[in-house]
Amino acid sequence: MSVSREEVLRIAQLAELDVEEEVVPTLAEQMSRILDYAAQLSAVPANGTVKVFVPGPDAIRFRIDEVTPSGLAFGPEEFAPDFKEGFFVVPKLGQFE
Amino acid sequence: MSPAWETIIGLETHVQLRTRSKMFCGCSTAFGAPPNTQVCPVCLGLPGALPAANGAAIGLAVRGALALGCTVHPKSVFARKNYFYPDLPKGYQISQFDQPLATNGTLSFLSSERGVVNATIVRLHIEEDAGKSIHDRFPKATAVDLNRSGVPLIEIVGGPDLRSPAEARAYLQTLKQLLEYIGISDCDMEKGSLRVDANVSVRRTGEMALNTRTEVKNINSFAFVEKALTVERDRQVALIESGGTVTQQTMLYDSKENSVRPQRSKEESHDYRYFPDPDLPPLVLTPEFVAEQQSELPELPAAKRDRFVASYGLSREHAMVVTATRAVADYFETVAKTSAEHQAAANWVMTEALADAKDYNDQLRVSPAALSQIIGLVKGGTLSHQAAKRVFAEVAAKGGDPRSVAESLGVIQVADSNVVSGWVTDVLGAHAPEVGRYKNGETKLMAFFLGQVMRASKGKADPKLAQRVLEEKLAS
Amino acid sequence: MSDAKAVADRLVKAKRLNALLTPPKELRKSLNTQIVAARPTGVLYGMPVAVKDNICTLEFTTTCASRILEGYRSPYEATAVAKLKAAGALIAGKTNCDEFAMGSSTEHSAYGRVLHPLDKTRVPGGSSGGSAALVGAGAVPAALGSETGGSVRQPAAFCGVVGIKPTYGRVSRYGLVAFGSSLDQIGVFGRSVHDAARVLSVISGRDPRDSTCEDRDPLRLPTVPESLQGFVVGLPKEYFPSELDPAVRRACERAIRMMKELGAAVREVSLPHTPYAVPTYYVIAPAEASSNLARYDGVRYGPRFNGAADLRSLYRATRGQGFGPEVRRRILVGTYVLSSGYYDAYYRRAQQMRALIAQDFRNAFDRGVDLLFTPTVPTPAFKAGEKLADPIAMYMSDIFTVTANLAGLPAMSLPIGRVKGLPIGGQLIGQAFLEDEMIEAAYALERVVPATDEA
Repeated sequence: MSVSREEVLRIAQLAELDVEEEVVPTLAEQMSRILDYAAQLSAVPANGTVKVFVPGPDAIRFRIDEVTPSGLAFGPEEFAPDFKEGFFVVPKLGQFE
Repeated sequence: MSPAWETIIGLETHVQLRTRSKMFCGCSTAFGAPPNTQVCPVCLGLPGALPAANGAAIGLAVRGALALGCTVHPKSVFARKNYFYPDLPKGYQISQFDQPLATNGTLSFLSSERGVVNATIVRLHIEEDAGKSIHDRFPKATAVDLNRSGVPLIEIVGGPDLRSPAEARAYLQTLKQLLEYIGISDCDMEKGSLRVDANVSVRRTGEMALNTRTEVKNINSFAFVEKALTVERDRQVALIESGGTVTQQTMLYDSKENSVRPQRSKEESHDYRYFPDPDLPPLVLTPEFVAEQQSELPELPAAKRDRFVASYGLSREHAMVVTATRAVADYFETVAKTSAEHQAAANWVMTEALADAKDYNDQLRVSPAALSQIIGLVKGGTLSHQAAKRVFAEVAAKGGDPRSVAESLGVIQVADSNVVSGWVTDVLGAHAPEVGRYKNGETKLMAFFLGQVMRASKGKADPKLAQRVLEEKLAS
Repeated sequence: MSDAKAVADRLVKAKRLNALLTPPKELRKSLNTQIVAARPTGVLYGMPVAVKDNICTLEFTTTCASRILEGYRSPYEATAVAKLKAAGALIAGKTNCDEFAMGSSTEHSAYGRVLHPLDKTRVPGGSSGGSAALVGAGAVPAALGSETGGSVRQPAAFCGVVGIKPTYGRVSRYGLVAFGSSLDQIGVFGRSVHDAARVLSVISGRDPRDSTCEDRDPLRLPTVPESLQGFVVGLPKEYFPSELDPAVRRACERAIRMMKELGAAVREVSLPHTPYAVPTYYVIAPAEASSNLARYDGVRYGPRFNGAADLRSLYRATRGQGFGPEVRRRILVGTYVLSSGYYDAYYRRAQQMRALIAQDFRNAFDRGVDLLFTPTVPTPAFKAGEKLADPIAMYMSDIFTVTANLAGLPAMSLPIGRVKGLPIGGQLIGQAFLEDEMIEAAYALERVVPATDEA
């Protein structure tokens, strides 16, 4: 499984993170290696007869519908990088609004 | 709209469920709080926070599914819908994907073009709402309020069964009525507790295949539903007729211009990478739980209409009006039972009560007991219909017991036959020539005599009694 | 009952290890405050416990050893931390780790690597290397770490301390910064089985805030047994391959001999899907991580990189520069395996393989085996820089530990010997929610195994 340069860039876009041009080839190669390694999973028959397994409780617990304290020791104004008049502030989407 | 073209519409509605707390945390869902004051680590998407599901929201969602005749699945799965937007704090929305809560229901509504339409409900699933992005508060920036982030929603997906913008509106109104009836949501488009996106395509009449459809968003009222869909349909028809093809895209409706424009989304990606949320075990519903939700369902609008027609002898049209909302239906029924005057009850509700309610925030200001009394007073001859309307208005504004109010207004009819006889005698005495003409066959003069008696009594005479006395005296 | 200054001094003395991210001044100030507020009736009264920096605390910052959370102070604390405090323990600073817990050597921290307590040219293991090193150096009796694929057991083995990973769902994850949600658990390091087990007992138990935490009472500690009479210990042959480091093999064989001498019945078992465990893990963990780390976008907390530009630039610069190369690589792999067209071939297949791996364990336990014993890591601590060139080389050091995370089973490492002075760890894997049996066996083994002797 070879991951192309274009795919690296497409995935980086989906994941909203910059990758410097210089590292794209290395990333493509490393991702290819990892995915090749992961391809061993084809040992599982493709007909889907094996059920998946996830540990943990078998069923979701229902929480009672009541308003509870926030559990915040301090509010967003203390940790937000840009906070004005009670709102989180972010730059506009730009031309893609 | 040219008969050469057929419009195909399917609606996706998002409905906020009426719970006290959010879907996955204990923050309040109350509308109108100052920004970012109803938040916690979970709905803020802080590092390390985890979701805990609201049982009441699940119950309300199941009720919605049952009311729509859906198959409720005993096991469904919460899935993550991954995308980036500032009002989506975790970078994913907890929703449901390939194992939703319910599938395969029906919503029957009345189409002015086709009669009863049984629209398919493809699926109903639970998800959490995102926060609010406000683009015009700060220059070159977006303000984000996460109070709404995490509020419980159900998404109801209808099949491509609607054939006109008017049908879309009717479908939506019927859906709103149903959900409001079962009490799971306020369904208020202004407040955003009911939101709708539409899928629209067109095809030449007679074609079987479905063409490319577009999605229309930003529709904020029932009226705009019809307008927006009309505009988009016309755009597609014009495009194809001029040799173009419809491309799959999202169109935003502009209510000021009454137009649609593409949502410019050069970098929009629809790869949501759905996978089951590993923070939430499967949603398992016991038969007891589902039965409990079923038992909490009230009589649904269609069944109630049928029953009103059968039990109270109302016409279909009248039944539709008095069952418009559950509040009105319950009101009518109480009045009908207490007064035992079914048609009168319907008439009063349809005219005076609803007209008054329209000006007072849908409040039915006159209690059912009071309205019942008023109806009784008219039936018994104590009030003329005109007088009763005045009493109704007075009781609506200031309350009070209808009989006392009538007395203080001085509109109690005189039904004492002696007093009425006196007036009749005076009138007949004063109009001997007319009496003669009446006895000679001009029976239409009865209306004249009655009018005179009403004048003499300053409107207080019971007209029915007056008429009887007149007839007796003139017969002799 | 320790005094604040003594606790702080011991930690500051180990400064050269770069294991503690909390500055000494802040540490001292906080300990002074904490010691006054600590509950004297708590079972851990006065015990200093260091906490891995991917666990939210109200004291100190929580950075996950990343630039993207540089300076972040959490406005709430993890349930496990709250329980420690309720038991009178002291939060003795935040420890260095691989960024967002992704790594096996603590070389992927944005704040520099952690040194092995006995050999500064070597790694302490990872991702909880800071916690392991501090306990290994005697700077603190216990520390919290976290596990996704062995990040407590492997560094415990490298540093010569005890490291326990509970059953999935035994300890609340509320406040543990998520990496691989279906694999993550908070784990404990201790100088002895007793220290680690005590702390585990305190932090365990139900938490309605974590939907994956089982509704159970906290772990009850067993008593130290006289012998291992009645225990059946399985040795999975796939964990003793011919290429196993000879010293590791010798140490394991010695430990097995001692278990027999203590009266345990020992037999060989097979867990045939073991070779697929690492690839399975390296599909599931990055996939879940790619989604869990989407929230780090510069919008609501943390620093902004290129905050003045438009929204997408803010996202891409913050995430591109705020995340280190290993995290970035895993996010990309994870995004890829979840993306349209690849979900069935990778993620779904991996979850199916996971079922087969879990079934292997169930089969072994159903055949009368109580516990499994294996080496924790194929080799002792490797040299810093040795495995950085090829990501897969680094992943292979998890080969004996990832299976327990995939199957959700409890597992622990305890020191069973040395090779040229470097510690070697032996691993016990227990049955779901039967930590007490596993700990009981560990108590017995600890008493007789010459942990600091050359193997």
